[in-house]
Amino acid sequence: MTRKPGEMVQGTLEMLILKTLALEPMHGYGVAQRIEQVSQGVFRVNPGSLLPALARMERAEHVKSEWRATENNRRAKYYLLTARGRKALKGETETWDRQTAAIARILEA
Amino acid sequence: MNWLNNIAGGIRALFHRESTESEMDEELRGFLDASVDAKTRAGMSPAAAARAARIEIGSANAVKHHIRSATWESAAENLWRDIRLSVRVLRASPAFTLVAVLSLALGIGANTAIFSLMDVVMLRMLPVQDPARLVLFGDGRAAGSTGSLPNESWRLYSNPFYRQFSRTNEVFSGVAAVDSIEFSTHGSVSGEGREMMHASLVSGNYFSLLGVRPALGRVLGDADDQAPGTGAVAVASYSWWQRRGSDPSLVGKTVHIESTDYTIVGIAAPGFFGTTVGQLPDFFIPLSMEKQISPGWNGLDDKWFQSLYLVARLKPGVTVAQATANTNLLFKQYIRSEYLGTSPSPKDLADVAHAQIELTPASRGVPRLRRQFSLPLTILITIASLVLLIACANLANLLLARGAARQREFAVRMAIGAMRSRVVRQLMTESLVIALAGALLGVAAAWKASHLLLIMASSSPEVAAMDVSPDLRVLGFALLLTILTALLFGVVPALRSTRLDLTGSLKQSRGIAGKSTRISLASGLIVAQIALSLVLLAGASLFLRSLVKLTQVDTGFNRQNVLVFSLDEYAAGLPLDDRLVNLQQQIEQRVEQVPGVAAASFAMFTFNQGEWSDDLTVQGIPRTTENSKDVLYNVVGNGFFSAMSIPLVAGRGFDSHDRIDSPRVAVINETMARLFFPDSSPIGHRFGLGDDPSHSGDIEIVGVARNAKYVALQEKPEAAAYFPYQQRVQYFGNFEVRYAGEAAQIVPAVRRAIAEVNPNVPIGSISSLAEQVDESTASQRLIARLSAFFGLLAAFLVCIGIYGLLSYAVARRTSEIGVRMALGAGRSAVRWLILREIMVLAAVGISLGVPVALAGNRMAANLLYGLSPADPASLLAAVAMVAAIAALAGYLPARRASLVEPTVALRCE
Repeated sequence: MTRKPGEMVQGTLEMLILKTLALEPMHGYGVAQRIEQVSQGVFRVNPGSLLPALARMERAEHVKSEWRATENNRRAKYYLLTARGRKALKGETETWDRQTAAIARILEA
Repeated sequence: MNWLNNIAGGIRALFHRESTESEMDEELRGFLDASVDAKTRAGMSPAAAARAARIEIGSANAVKHHIRSATWESAAENLWRDIRLSVRVLRASPAFTLVAVLSLALGIGANTAIFSLMDVVMLRMLPVQDPARLVLFGDGRAAGSTGSLPNESWRLYSNPFYRQFSRTNEVFSGVAAVDSIEFSTHGSVSGEGREMMHASLVSGNYFSLLGVRPALGRVLGDADDQAPGTGAVAVASYSWWQRRGSDPSLVGKTVHIESTDYTIVGIAAPGFFGTTVGQLPDFFIPLSMEKQISPGWNGLDDKWFQSLYLVARLKPGVTVAQATANTNLLFKQYIRSEYLGTSPSPKDLADVAHAQIELTPASRGVPRLRRQFSLPLTILITIASLVLLIACANLANLLLARGAARQREFAVRMAIGAMRSRVVRQLMTESLVIALAGALLGVAAAWKASHLLLIMASSSPEVAAMDVSPDLRVLGFALLLTILTALLFGVVPALRSTRLDLTGSLKQSRGIAGKSTRISLASGLIVAQIALSLVLLAGASLFLRSLVKLTQVDTGFNRQNVLVFSLDEYAAGLPLDDRLVNLQQQIEQRVEQVPGVAAASFAMFTFNQGEWSDDLTVQGIPRTTENSKDVLYNVVGNGFFSAMSIPLVAGRGFDSHDRIDSPRVAVINETMARLFFPDSSPIGHRFGLGDDPSHSGDIEIVGVARNAKYVALQEKPEAAAYFPYQQRVQYFGNFEVRYAGEAAQIVPAVRRAIAEVNPNVPIGSISSLAEQVDESTASQRLIARLSAFFGLLAAFLVCIGIYGLLSYAVARRTSEIGVRMALGAGRSAVRWLILREIMVLAAVGISLGVPVALAGNRMAANLLYGLSPADPASLLAAVAMVAAIAALAGYLPARRASLVEPTVALRCE
């Protein structure tokens, strides 16, 4: 399989989702939109990977979900960060920072 | 707790599959709507926005599949779905399923049954503490007693040596002794009726050395095993206690064995049957009671009475090599000081130089049964695994054919999005379901069969009582075997039949295919099956021919119409003198008066009951290596030669002139006569037992009897001598009666006659001489029967395989055959076209199988009688059978091919 631009490193998707949900509860499409906007179109998340990731995180109790009405008065499944999820985000961010810093040092050396 | 939640969530999802499903649908729909809204807001037309959003999301089913596979329960669910589908698919083709499951059941069942026997006989560890640190002195290849000077690798030990050795050795934390034979006696508990009992004589430290605890009461201790005749206590085996209803009050009761009362002080731990595999003692009794258990067995103070097995536990840190060195040092010192006088003869010194003790691992106990059964069992499990291999090859072939027939199904499934791995998994599940069904049936059959095998292998009641029902280990073996089998026959067909060119498979229903790889793979499998079945059939015909030869052996006695009663004269309470002889002679005379009885006699041995042997010296004949070999001895009654129908060729038999106080006499056999007196009559010559010339005048030869087999049908003629029991007073046990007419009428009459002479002489088992002869060939018969059965089974499986392959080939080539016939080919030419194919395969299979069969048969050389492992007749018979099977299985499809109507065949296209 060839790597298309916009595909992300394995394992980072959950971290990005956690970060996105840390701001406010959102439904699936909202998360995808937000990641795409903030990354200025570098990352495009399709539902084929987003929804399974959310299902996994829900099972791990990093997020929980509830059905709410959207701004357009439609029913949508909103995802909320749990305390466990917040802790996971903190841990993953720290690991990520350490790794990128290390990689940067290697590349600069 | 995370995984707990995970499991709980998974189970919830499994139960609410409907709502989970609809939630997923709704969420996806929401996603789509939101996406369309966003795109419309960004200025796209509603139609274009909807289209773009749908492309972005892709197949809703694929997304849902991804969501589902994010969780574990989907894997379980898929498996469950695969299993249900497999069962449905298999039910749709019952003939295939039946053949598959039954052939696997036979293969797996046979392997499991034989493995469970191997487990008990060869593999199971003794249920004792740290069995790996136990060693046995010698290899356990002898049982009974020997009075010889230790002059080779030694196996049996005297009590004096045992006591001194356990005091002086520095390498063992303990040495225990157990009598090499188990005693069959009669006894009664608290005055109830008398019953057969098996007793094992053990040293006082036996239980503590092994680390076997009591289930109830206590085990034996050093205090029980002191001066000869003291220590009348017994520890019962757990299984005896269970047979008596596990009654706790049995501890403290007395058991009366022969003429002594033993207090039952405890019950041994469950599953403990002593250290000799195959013995199932009811009671463990201190060695100090040896004489009380068996009066002829009186050698506690006699260094020449060597009858014990010694089992020792290595001290921590001591290696077997160190222990062997120390043990042999002490052994040699002991022999020199105790057995050799101050001026030993050069011959004795030379003999003693060869004496040594080999320490063998005893973690699995004394290998008595192991020796007897390990070769037959190894051969049987080889045969059974070959059958399983054939069944696997056969199944692989059937699956290949099914796979070819189901290619359209697979093509459709893959076209609508199933991954190839998914389809392969489904096919493997089908194989596993077949294998599991076969295994279930097979193990259920093995449960019964292993015990049946045991009974077939040995009709001795103690062996038949062994517990061979499959334990966890055996079940584990069966499960492993099942999974292996499924992989073996399932993987290649699954991979092969899912490797397809989608458009091609969907387009053509049936076409003219080239010689596909499926055919060559299938042919290879058929060749393998033919080769393997040739190996099995060659083995089977070899074993059968050998058995036939064995049953035609001239035994030298007439095995028909002789009953062998096991009597316990000791129970009459008479001492070892002429009072006992009188009783024995009265019983013989009284029984001979029973109508229909021709002759009756006590004897030490009838046939295949063990041996007593020693060398001898004939007066006036110098000893040579040739004539100083051991001679087989027997002690018999006056009527023995007529009861056994062993003709006397010279001199006389024993009669009333031979009394306890008259000159000692013997009858020798022809081989011994030829050995010592090649040119003259042996009558009147004298000999003595052992190598002491001063005793060579002890016994006078009064007769010569024809050769008769002694221990085994296979044995070469060996020198033998018979002594009258009046001059060697002893308790026997064997009482044989030659009769005319119906055994069923003789038995009660003989019982009555014995009871009239002395009501205290109990009669144990009753068998016939013919049965004893049969029993001596039990393992040969078992192997011959089973190998014939498995050989036929293999032949049947090969038949199915060939038939299936050729039927498929004929179906595939119908149009080709039509063309050939349209062009003028005759029906017999068409028939030959098909038959030729299978004949080529058979030829290849046979040429591959013959060298394998020859190599495999060498393994069985020790079990064959009068045949070379490369016996050409057996091999030819097998080759002919395989060729016949191939022709037979090929004929039907070939005939069908020859009946093809050219017009019909061509119109099909």
